[in-house]
Amino acid sequence: MDPDLVIHTEGLVKRFGNVVALDELDLDVGRGEVHGFLGPNGAGKSTAIRVLLGLLRADAGHVAMLGGDPWADAVELHRRLAYVPGDVELWPNLTGGEAIDLFARLRGGFDQRRRDELCERFDLDPTKKGRTYSKGNRQKVALISALASDVELLLLDEPTAGLDPLMEAEFQECIREVKAAGHTVLLSSHILAQVEVLADRISIIRQGAIVESGTLSELRHLTRTTIVVELEHDPAPLRALDGIHDLHTVDGQVHFEVDGHRVDEAVRALAPLGVRSLVARPPTLEQLLLRHYGDETTDTTDDESVA
Amino acid sequence: MTAASTTATAPTTAHQRGDTLAGLGAMVRFTLRRDRVKLPAWAGGLGLFGVYVAAAIPSAYPTEDDLGAMTTLFGDPLGRMLTGPGYGFDDPTFERVVGSGYGLYLMLLAALMSILLVTRHTRGEEQTGRAELVRASIVGRHTLLTATLVTAVLTNLAGGIAVWLAMVLVGGFAIAGSTLLAAAVAAVGLAFAGITMVATQLTLYTRAAAGMAGGVLGAAFVVRSGGDMAAEGGTPLSWLSPLGWAQQTGPYVLDRWWPLLLLGALTGITAATGFWLSARRDLAASFVPVRPGPPRARPSLGTPWGLAVRLQRASIIGWTVALSITGMVFGAYADALLGAVEDMPDVFIDLFGAEDLLAGYLGYMAMFMSLFISAFAILAVQSMRSEETGGRGEPVFATPISRWQWLGTNLAVTVVAVVVIAIATGFSTGIGAAVVTGDTIHLGELTLAQLNFIPPVLVTTAVAVLLFGVLPRAIGATWAIVGYAMITGTFGVLLDLPQAAFNLDPFSHIPQMPLEEFAAAPVLILVGLAAAVSALGLVGFRRRPINGS
Repeated sequence: MDPDLVIHTEGLVKRFGNVVALDELDLDVGRGEVHGFLGPNGAGKSTAIRVLLGLLRADAGHVAMLGGDPWADAVELHRRLAYVPGDVELWPNLTGGEAIDLFARLRGGFDQRRRDELCERFDLDPTKKGRTYSKGNRQKVALISALASDVELLLLDEPTAGLDPLMEAEFQECIREVKAAGHTVLLSSHILAQVEVLADRISIIRQGAIVESGTLSELRHLTRTTIVVELEHDPAPLRALDGIHDLHTVDGQVHFEVDGHRVDEAVRALAPLGVRSLVARPPTLEQLLLRHYGDETTDTTDDESVA
Repeated sequence: MTAASTTATAPTTAHQRGDTLAGLGAMVRFTLRRDRVKLPAWAGGLGLFGVYVAAAIPSAYPTEDDLGAMTTLFGDPLGRMLTGPGYGFDDPTFERVVGSGYGLYLMLLAALMSILLVTRHTRGEEQTGRAELVRASIVGRHTLLTATLVTAVLTNLAGGIAVWLAMVLVGGFAIAGSTLLAAAVAAVGLAFAGITMVATQLTLYTRAAAGMAGGVLGAAFVVRSGGDMAAEGGTPLSWLSPLGWAQQTGPYVLDRWWPLLLLGALTGITAATGFWLSARRDLAASFVPVRPGPPRARPSLGTPWGLAVRLQRASIIGWTVALSITGMVFGAYADALLGAVEDMPDVFIDLFGAEDLLAGYLGYMAMFMSLFISAFAILAVQSMRSEETGGRGEPVFATPISRWQWLGTNLAVTVVAVVVIAIATGFSTGIGAAVVTGDTIHLGELTLAQLNFIPPVLVTTAVAVLLFGVLPRAIGATWAIVGYAMITGTFGVLLDLPQAAFNLDPFSHIPQMPLEEFAAAPVLILVGLAAAVSALGLVGFRRRPINGS
């Protein structure tokens, strides 16, 4: 295995009865990168993370994490990682501060100063009992505990679903610090804006399999740029070009989409038409997702793409 | 969710009375729909238990003249402690034996059914946040509690009818007595529905509420045990217990209805108190305000041991206190036993070890109390399971704690707690006995007797651990061991069970000290068995997937 890969799975299969949760999943996460693990609910993100943690055993395929087998070497590997579940449950009779310390100590010690600083930054009152915390505050407890532990790998399963925008910004800052320290982060999310801002590389999972993987710019290459122009002349010549889609005119503005690798040709074709104004938008992750989920899961995609 | 705190004022005046019950019909239908399996199962279970005893007694004792041997045991102080005031045992008929001998257990079942029903639909809904969703729609402040009460009334009515059908159709028993017995069973169920309505207002969690109401049920049982033990027909002490009131109706013997008025009044007062309290608190809050706690964990908490101790601490303290009090009361009943001996027929003395009646009673109590210690241990394993399924286990398993270590430390804490509870219970029983007999030898003697019963408790715990590791959905099946031991240990001799039936009961292998001599072999064999079975459970747990939330 490539020593630079922190997570490497090949043909990973996990079934629950008749339901295939992971269907030949191939996932590679390199050392020191923030890897966005993107997909709608039920695509298999949490199942994949549970397999990586050794909580579930894969039915077939190969998994290596930090060079070890997550099922057989769970304890050794867990010394080197921290995990934040998507739905954090705390003990009703333990305070948030106690829970933070508990997880961090079970992981093998932590930086007390960093922990206090994080409590401050995330504006968490550590003296409240677990049952009185809101969802967002429970998530902060798990996040602070994970961030206060000096570990190589963070596995974060939709870590900011309950955080407000201010805390979200603080979270992004913390992830940048983790990255700067040379650590690796696997960030699962269906919140596209978050992954777009933080991730070096992205893997898109759909129905238990990775459908796209690469840097954001690599993925953009695979999709269409939206262009809005005002032209002096008739846009008809554009229609003759390959790779131009959905051309229409609204209030004198010409809208069309162009395939990533044909932008060059489109711009050449525009030049003789007398361009008065031009706006080109890179594809958003919503569009990337729509391309993959558009046909079969239109209903859910609408929900998922609300960032 | 709002901060959990109490509110002193209730804005009841601003609303019309009808508003607080808006949506009641829909909520009752919804509650019945959600419990469409549980409620028929409980009511049917009551009926089946009735069918079983109504059919089993006549088949075990072909004529009513044969019943004498049975009622001799049921009618002695120890028998009365476990069955009731013993009406009609001097002139036994099938219906009297069923009504006076087994009626108490029908009542206990109805009470348990009501406690679980009410906690599930009140505090359970608030705890999960579902009540918030319901209350945000056009549903009045009192609707949830009222719908729960209506459901409890319907369920207890169904249970009563099932018992009545069993008595009349299967047993062919008198209509009047059967109706009274069925009504008494339903009335006890309703009284405990009312008591639980109060308990759910006072606590934040279903477990605490069920524990509180269950504590009242336990106290009601213990109080009437003492009252009924002291004299046939009960004593004033029997009249301090709601269970005592129901039994004082004397179905098939006295056939008096008026004690049920007491149960009706208790139901009315407790239900009204429940409504009154619920109108004076916030949704999802309790009357015990939540205090802030330490901002940091003590160093001891950051280890698997510390976590296991912390999570089991409250349960260990609660069980130690409850069983110590119960033990002390049962120990003190030794007096009533000795007082009643003079009235006992010779047949009983022959059967129950005339040489030392007191030692026989105290030895039986050690076995009886060890069943409760087993209940603590099974609940401890079940709470390990709810750590796993409740989503709190997952982040712990993601730390460098192996599963063996996690289950092993939790199990070790439970085993140590079993020993602590056994010592406290045995010693307290000894105190109770010593106070009434003036003989301090009971202190050490009964502590040893209780410790002697730890091995079968460990076997029971080990079975729960095995199921946790291999078939976690079935942990509840472990309760069958406790139920089986209760039946064979209490009624086995009476029912003339074959030796094989006793051999299956781990508790029957232990000699009941101080009447019987200590024997090392069963202790060693049972401890070895418990260790082997637990080890299988540990291996199984290592090999199975973790259930996430």
